[in-house]
Parts: sequence; C-alpha cells; structure tokens
Amino acid sequence: MTIYSFWIFDKHCNCIYDREWTLLANPKSGTTNSKQNDDISKLLYGIIFSLRSVTGKLSSTETGRTNEISSISTGRFRIHTYCTATGLWFVLLTDFKPFNYSKVLQHIYSDIFVKYITNNYLSPYDFAQSEGEKRGQGTRKITNRHFKNNLELFLEPMISS
Amino acid sequence: MSRQQSINSSQTPTPTTAQSPLSRSLKATGEEVWKRTEKINAELFTLTYGAIVSQLCTDYGRDFVKINEQLYQMGYSIGVRLIEDFLARTALPRCQGMQETSEALSKCAFKVFLNITPRVTNWSSGKDAFSLIIDDNPLSDFVELPMDAMEQLWYSNVLCGVLKGALEMVQLDCDVFFVSDILRGDQQTELRVKLNKILKDEIPIGED
Repeated sequence: MTIYSFWIFDKHCNCIYDREWTLLANPKSGTTNSKQNDDISKLLYGIIFSLRSVTGKLSSTETGRTNEISSISTGRFRIHTYCTATGLWFVLLTDFKPFNYSKVLQHIYSDIFVKYITNNYLSPYDFAQSEGEKRGQGTRKITNRHFKNNLELFLEPMISS
Repeated sequence: MSRQQSINSSQTPTPTTAQSPLSRSLKATGEEVWKRTEKINAELFTLTYGAIVSQLCTDYGRDFVKINEQLYQMGYSIGVRLIEDFLARTALPRCQGMQETSEALSKCAFKVFLNITPRVTNWSSGKDAFSLIIDDNPLSDFVELPMDAMEQLWYSNVLCGVLKGALEMVQLDCDVFFVSDILRGDQQTELRVKLNKILKDEIPIGED
C-alpha cells in the first residue's frame, strides 16, 4: 500500500489541513498546508461533494439512512473518505490496490484529531472565524505541532510499504 | 475521563472504535463504549463542579440569573468540543428525527459520560420536543441549596449548555432548559429539549 496525500475538510467546505508526499522513498518529502494545493483541494472537495449528493439520492428510502461514500477509485488511485456527523471529512489518496483505510481514517479522527485539536482548548474548534470564511472561502489551516508530528508518525509506515 | 489509549499511534492500526452502530441498538453501543472508557472517581467530579458553582456565586455576588447564564455558556463551550469526542468513541451517524436523537442522548451520551440513563418522556404533539428525567444526577450529589438560591439557581445548568452546544454541532438548533429540579423542591429533575430547526449544511459558494 502506498499513500499519496491526506486532507481534512471542515463543515464550512474549507480545507483545514493538507499533506502531500512527493518522493515515496522519503516520508519527510512533500508539502504541508501548501498554497499550491488550494485548487486541488477545491476540486477534491467538489468530487466528494457531488458524489455524496448523488449517493444520497440513490440510497433506498426504506432504511432512511444516508448512504456514505467510503472510497472512490479511478484507474490510477483511490480516494478514501471518512465523514463525521459534525461535518468533518478526512480524505486519503492512495494507490488503487484495495485496502480498507476506514480504520486508518477513524483512528486519525479519534486518536489524533480529537486528542490534539478538539481537546486542546487553545486551538479553535471552528476554523472559520467570520461569515466571510465560510462556504469554502476560508484559508485557515491546522498548524498544531503535536497534531502534525503524531499524524506524520502514524502515516509514515504507510507511505511506501 | 480521558479515553483509553488502546493502540499506539506508531503501530499499524487495529480496530478501535465500535463498528456499524446501525446494526446494533444504541443501548448496546452506549454500554460497550462505557466499558471501554477509563473511569474516574465520581465524587471528585461532583465536588469539582460544586467548587465551580460556589466560585461563580462569589464572583457574581449571588446574582443567580447571571450565574445560570454563565454556567450555560461554560456548558456550551464544553458541548461543542465534547460532541467530537462522543462521535469519535461511538462512530454514530447523524440521527434521523428527534426520536432517535432522544435515544442517542439518554442511552449513549449520558451513559458514556456520566453513566446515567435519563428517562425520555413528555413528547410534544409535533414530536419536536421531549423531556429527560434525570433521577440520579451526579452533579448534584451532596448538594443542598441555600434558601436564596432555591428560587432562581439552576444548579446543573451546565448540562443545558452542553446539550445545546453538542446538538448545534450536528446541525440541530435546539432550546435546552430545566423545567424542574429536585434541589428546588420539585418532584423530579426534568430537562426539556426543544427543536427549533434543523440547520442546513453549508455548500461552497457558486454551487447553488
């Protein structure tokens, strides 16, 4: 399994964290919270957003349950998503080999995000601080050192194995 | 009350959180998560809360309306963060309707964080408001309100704020308030949750 990049979107449609690895041999390579990835993050958000509304409409109404997307695959790679009820999206781009990354994303949410961002009262719980930063127009990112270090440590073994 | 660290972050991930809560009842989910949660001394918690309320009483010169407000505000700030912790532990999806919300609250949320299961009653005709009857409120163990406070103080008002904040984060705009409290000489402690409206998820600019 190989992972290419990792993204977090908040409920205001903003990308609040992005991490892209460029050299598979070097887990320290690549960019974090890069400006250059702004457009890509918007496209990625759009793909998932559209597919979510499609699958929402296609799901049977009997159970009354929303039909969440777990992964989207293309010829070259796969997009894995984990969405929480509070509207956070955790997105991981990997190679196309089938592997269930939902546990990985759930772990990132419950043991890294909640621990270092939510339970950290000095970090904002909502990254949009004004009306003008909502609806995909915000630019604030997670810069917390603990969060970053622990995330790197956790994902490192998966970059090229 | 911190979560049990069941796996080390540097290892390959193994199952941690409850799977597919849809297939099991909310009650079972609540109990299972409670079993996995690290426990702390309830008295320590009760006394800590007591210290906070009494400090507020001093700070606000026994202006109980202000104290209620302040407790509510504190609860709100706790709730907006606590919801993430709750969802991380239970992996519950959004609730379909208030009926399910009430069960998730009483059987999962209260169970996981306070180990109590309030009764759900007094449904409004439109099914958009319900009451939680809290029989064994851990916040108010050992508490007897002084005469001047009995009239106005809602001792456990922090709970209202927590519910308000947490529900708002899952797009349910609710009013949450106490109707009665044993501490004030009422028959039972009743917490009312009333849905105002379901908030809409935001969509990126230009999508509509």
